[in-house]
Amino acid sequence: MLAVERLVAGYGRRPLARLARLDVGPGEAALLLGPSGSGKTTLLLAIAGMAEVIEGSVRIDGVDMAGLRGAARDRFRGRAIGFVFQDLHLIAGLSTLDNVLLAPFAAGVRQDRRRALALLAELGLEARAHRPAETLSRGEAQRAAIARAMLLEPKLILADEPTASLDDATCGRVAELLARAAAETGAALVVATHDLRLRERFEVSVFAEPVGLPEPAL
Amino acid sequence: MNQVKLIGAFIRRRPLTWGFHALTLALGVAVLTAVLALNAGLSGRFQRDLGGIDLVVGAKGSPLQLIMSAVFQLDQPTGNIPLPVLQLLAGNRMVERAVPVSLGDNVGGFRIVGTTPQYGEIYDARLAAGRWWSGPMEAVIGAQVGRRLHYRVGDVFVGDHGLAPGGETHKDSPYRVVGVLKPTGAVIDRLVLTDTASVWKVHEHENLEHLEALNAGRPVDPHDVDKSPGGREVTAVLVKYRSAMGALMLPRFITGLPNLQAASPAVETAHLTTLLGTGAEVLRAFAVGLLALSALGFFVALYAAVSQRRRELALLRTLGARPSLLFALVTLEGLALGLTGGLAGIALGRGAAVFAAQAASRGGGPSLPLPPLGGVDLAILAGALALSLVAALAPGLVAYRTPPAAALKAG
Repeated sequence: MLAVERLVAGYGRRPLARLARLDVGPGEAALLLGPSGSGKTTLLLAIAGMAEVIEGSVRIDGVDMAGLRGAARDRFRGRAIGFVFQDLHLIAGLSTLDNVLLAPFAAGVRQDRRRALALLAELGLEARAHRPAETLSRGEAQRAAIARAMLLEPKLILADEPTASLDDATCGRVAELLARAAAETGAALVVATHDLRLRERFEVSVFAEPVGLPEPAL
Repeated sequence: MNQVKLIGAFIRRRPLTWGFHALTLALGVAVLTAVLALNAGLSGRFQRDLGGIDLVVGAKGSPLQLIMSAVFQLDQPTGNIPLPVLQLLAGNRMVERAVPVSLGDNVGGFRIVGTTPQYGEIYDARLAAGRWWSGPMEAVIGAQVGRRLHYRVGDVFVGDHGLAPGGETHKDSPYRVVGVLKPTGAVIDRLVLTDTASVWKVHEHENLEHLEALNAGRPVDPHDVDKSPGGREVTAVLVKYRSAMGALMLPRFITGLPNLQAASPAVETAHLTTLLGTGAEVLRAFAVGLLALSALGFFVALYAAVSQRRRELALLRTLGARPSLLFALVTLEGLALGLTGGLAGIALGRGAAVFAAQAASRGGGPSLPLPPLGGVDLAILAGALALSLVAALAPGLVAYRTPPAAALKAG
């Protein structure tokens, strides 16, 4: 589903991070580990086509991301990738439900309200569906962002530090949620984190390597 | 989830900022609306006062003064002309209408004009109450006179000598109000109309005094020098041609007669506009400058507003939004801002113009009939919308060129 090979990612041709190899099949989950500043986010953004692939290749469902540019790349991402940002990026002033429906709205596909409500209910947010997004707690907002990433049943779910600032119990539940969602919809899941608590829950772990530093011994 | 909901969320998140942006536009639109409405009101008043008058015949002197006094009722008359001139003009085949105007007195600053009921036809004046006069010393008052002096049908008043308040009162010659006119927006609103014979009657004894003074070699009231004693006179005659032939023949015919002149209101008004031209141009330049300034302010404001959308636009791109969707969003927000500011500005400008027009006529001055809301205001609104679009699209384009990841981080 996701095949990354000898990826060097950065912005404006300036390399920031390297990822030797990552293969994640449908329903599988992988952890992208590395300390803060190691370039995990840059690698994740490069996989999603939002940062530059300077070297190497990223293939999603057989599609080479390097072959897609501009609007076409945006469109592919909208259909095939669900991205959970570290900062979540819910839009204040919109209800939780509308924030989730932002995914089909932006991708230009049918907005299935019933499915979105069911998904929110599954994530324990049914009571929050019609509340403004800015009234959600951090944990609730996290789940809303996950719901938005999952609604269109993407082939690949990318999550950037989804468990940062969560306590152990919540952290475990969020990780489980992501893994279960990916498994149920047959999506590949990559979670970028420095949170070693997650390591025991994932079978595959790879390390981000900051460019310019010696390669860490695995 | 739709565009309108999303724009609504943008606005709800910073209502005050958004309100200020709209206000910036509204102020610019208001200035333009008010200036144009007042300008149209002013030139509209000129046109209305000119009514159906093609030519004014009066005593020799400045033609501009003749027009100003006999048509616009603003200046002193150039003198009087003998009554037979009126009869001569009225009987001419090239003349459709010849209306006499006799000046001399005022009541509360409003001029008493001796004329015939045909004067009302010039301005399409209709009675709000009462009737036209049927004899001397009966008066029909203009709408503004009635409002200001609180005169009604049946009221009795006396005129003061001269064309401004403070003159000698003609106590022994009271007028009776027999009719009140509906407002027309023209000069007739500020006039007291009466029969030509009323003016003669009121001034009979003066004519005699004047004659005695002349005979005795005593100094004469300078105001009365133009009154030829004994003879029946009018101040001027307002002429409407029957055909284009009249325009060719009549002025030359009049100029050939002793002590008479014929002035064209159209020519003299154009002359006046040229005289005042510099001042009007300065005013217009000022308005254009103000407009440019507010347009710039609005542009900056909208640029800032759309720049704040960079994060949201970037998020939508990461969610797969096509450029057309982002374009639609930016356009929609620009239009919403343009429509809000534009409509508020037109309401504001119209309010200011109405206020200014009322303030101008409160002091007894000429009323300023504003044109009804219409094409001009629609054009202004369209201009505001176009400006909003341009102002919204420029930062929208900049936002689209920023890589979404960078824009998200910047937010």
